[in-house]
Amino acid sequence: MDNKAIGLKVLRKMVHFPSTYRLLLPFLNLLHSKENQAYRVWVRFLLSTFRDAYAHQKPVIWINSFLPSELIYGLGAIPILPEIISALVSYLEWSGRFLSRADTSISTDLCSFYRCALGLALEDFLPRPDLILSSSQLCDGANKFFYYLSRLYQCPHLFLDPPYSDHPRSHRYMEGQIEEVMDEATKILSLPLRKERFRLVLNRSNQARQWIEKINQLRQSIPSPFPGSEGLSYLSGMTFHSMGSPWALRFFPLLYAEIEKRVFSKKGYLPEEKHRFLWLHHVRPYYKNEIFNILSSRGVALSFEEANYLYWPPLDPSEPWKSLADKILSNVWAGPIERRMKAIEEMRVAYSIDGVIHFSHWGCRQSCGGAAIIGDWLKEKGISYLVLFGDGADPNNYSTGQIRTRLEAFIEMMG
Amino acid sequence: MKYYLTFKKILDDLKAKDPLYAKNQWIGWTCTYLPLEILEAAHLTPFRILPEATTEKADSYLDPNFCPFIKAALEKALSGGYSFLSGIIFLNTCDGMRRLFDAWRLYCKPTFSYLLDLPRVMDSSSIAFFKEGLNDLIKQLEIHFRRKIIEDDLLMAIERSNKTGELLTKLFSLQGRGDPPFTHGEILDILSERWKVNRPLFNQALELFISSIKLDQKASPVGPKVMVTGSLLDGSDLARMIEELGGEVVASDLCTAQRIHNIVNLDSDPLDSLSQAYLRKPPCGRMHDTQRRIDFLKQRLLECKAQGLIYFSLKFCDPYLYEAPAMEGALKEIGIPTLFIEGEYSGKPGGGIRTRVQAFLEVLRQNG
Repeated sequence: MDNKAIGLKVLRKMVHFPSTYRLLLPFLNLLHSKENQAYRVWVRFLLSTFRDAYAHQKPVIWINSFLPSELIYGLGAIPILPEIISALVSYLEWSGRFLSRADTSISTDLCSFYRCALGLALEDFLPRPDLILSSSQLCDGANKFFYYLSRLYQCPHLFLDPPYSDHPRSHRYMEGQIEEVMDEATKILSLPLRKERFRLVLNRSNQARQWIEKINQLRQSIPSPFPGSEGLSYLSGMTFHSMGSPWALRFFPLLYAEIEKRVFSKKGYLPEEKHRFLWLHHVRPYYKNEIFNILSSRGVALSFEEANYLYWPPLDPSEPWKSLADKILSNVWAGPIERRMKAIEEMRVAYSIDGVIHFSHWGCRQSCGGAAIIGDWLKEKGISYLVLFGDGADPNNYSTGQIRTRLEAFIEMMG
Repeated sequence: MKYYLTFKKILDDLKAKDPLYAKNQWIGWTCTYLPLEILEAAHLTPFRILPEATTEKADSYLDPNFCPFIKAALEKALSGGYSFLSGIIFLNTCDGMRRLFDAWRLYCKPTFSYLLDLPRVMDSSSIAFFKEGLNDLIKQLEIHFRRKIIEDDLLMAIERSNKTGELLTKLFSLQGRGDPPFTHGEILDILSERWKVNRPLFNQALELFISSIKLDQKASPVGPKVMVTGSLLDGSDLARMIEELGGEVVASDLCTAQRIHNIVNLDSDPLDSLSQAYLRKPPCGRMHDTQRRIDFLKQRLLECKAQGLIYFSLKFCDPYLYEAPAMEGALKEIGIPTLFIEGEYSGKPGGGIRTRVQAFLEVLRQNG
């Protein structure tokens, strides 16, 4: 066994050892002592989730990004999002090894977040799932990908299939699917279906939603108080992963307070703000890259990102299945592209946007497939628009020179 | 080509004699889960969108990492190649198809466009939901084309469609007979004619063709038997290449081959029967139940005594690309080797694919 293999074995052992996360906490607290409090809560949330998941204190359910985490907290289980773990692994600059491992099994033309997650699964780095619950919304590959993982882990796989249309029959169908899936999940996991817990979880989700709404309002301030690069990391990560958990009610108010402080002091995150950009797509490159430095150094604030657009209405805790069906079907990135365009227009006006970047993440069909349509429409409105080709988790698909040239030319053109 | 040319001549003669041929009102469609019977009951002629493989214009409208079939379809639409269509009906087949629907609507502005929701699962709720969608499609067609779709017309359309199914079963049973042998490649060429004419004409031509050719003699086996599965291929070039290399294609589970025919059992009301028949048919890679698909392919491989499976996925086709490793693993368990090919939509496989197919056939020969 060579040194690399030994290193990997040791790392795997550490990752699977629940106490690792307890031991890591003081180090990370020290390391992040200059970060805002919300950021530190996010770190604690992740450590706590991983600790519990590897300790298997409660059932572990793997989900994908657009499956409401409220369903998992309502069951009293731990949600694990392999895509988010891929983003973290990429941030730590470790994705290369896992991507290479996955590339022996699946095509490199697929989304690197899934490829990296597959590599992590094949190398046995992820907390073992008791159940996988995935949704086909916005990502065709999800259902087949999670089916394959369920075969690897020999665990049950349940599936939600949100329809395309927003018709009342779609809502009824979606509600029925949630009810069936929850019924099945409780049987598989031998968990009681406690309506009062769902009521609590949905109440928490609604409270968090209110904080998100307030944060989004604060972010309309000029100069931009909060960087979009962070909006695309821990802020959107918490929106995907923590809705319905008590952690959300610690995180969002703290972030609100932090941003409010900056707004009151009229302090933007850049020393001088020349332009205000909107970032389209739910992801950004998480590995070391120059994009955000280039933008900042040219006075371009990433004022908002569509990933944090609040698209769903408040939930009704007395009708959890119906409410969550409504949440799923109100997703503006699903259905005809006009829904997304309407949301972009709303963000453009609210955040005084003068430039839009569409990050075309390699392997993503749903978002990138609309990039040209959105571009033509924005250009007609006189809004500067740039499609930036890249990859969220695979640094091999990131071309430093090309991205720098395109970004600089774009900013220069805007004056 | 002998048999295909015979069929083509029969079809062309019928077309020339058909006074109504020029009056067909064509509706473009893309996915085999669309019950064409509904369009036919509305006196519309379904026209399958199977464009030539060019993407010059479409490259600036869709992302570089996009399905080549979808790009080719948009290319042809943007160039006015589908301007004769009276409308388009898509299904929410995949992310790519939904974006094609957006681009087509916004840039080509068809007078009628509809996207039908297709569930990925097959159970009583999804069948009921699909039926509601079909009902809505009927309503929209009736409003736009100002005609009523009556039950008798729907029943007749289903009967005709079942007739196509019966004839195609007969056609497939003739494979491997005659001198020279009637090959799978020729069957695919015959099927490719299906989308250019209306169903009564195709049925008539197929019936005449089957009764006119004498294929009593079963040809001696030529080489390793393979089955092809995947999404869709432009024409029969892959099958022909396999045959040229000494293999025998015994079945093809493709959107352009056996997946197109579907017998509808009329044991309930027509829409119920249609939604059941379409959702219950052997699933394609887009549908959720991979295990059902694996079971279906295992059964087909056994039935047609195939020694190997060629799994063809279009580049950037998520459902098939993600499914491939699970399929490969499941077939390995029963001793069936799989050759995975990720290729372009263009029917002409390149040198690299040819070499890999050649090597695969060699392995099958050695396996006996």
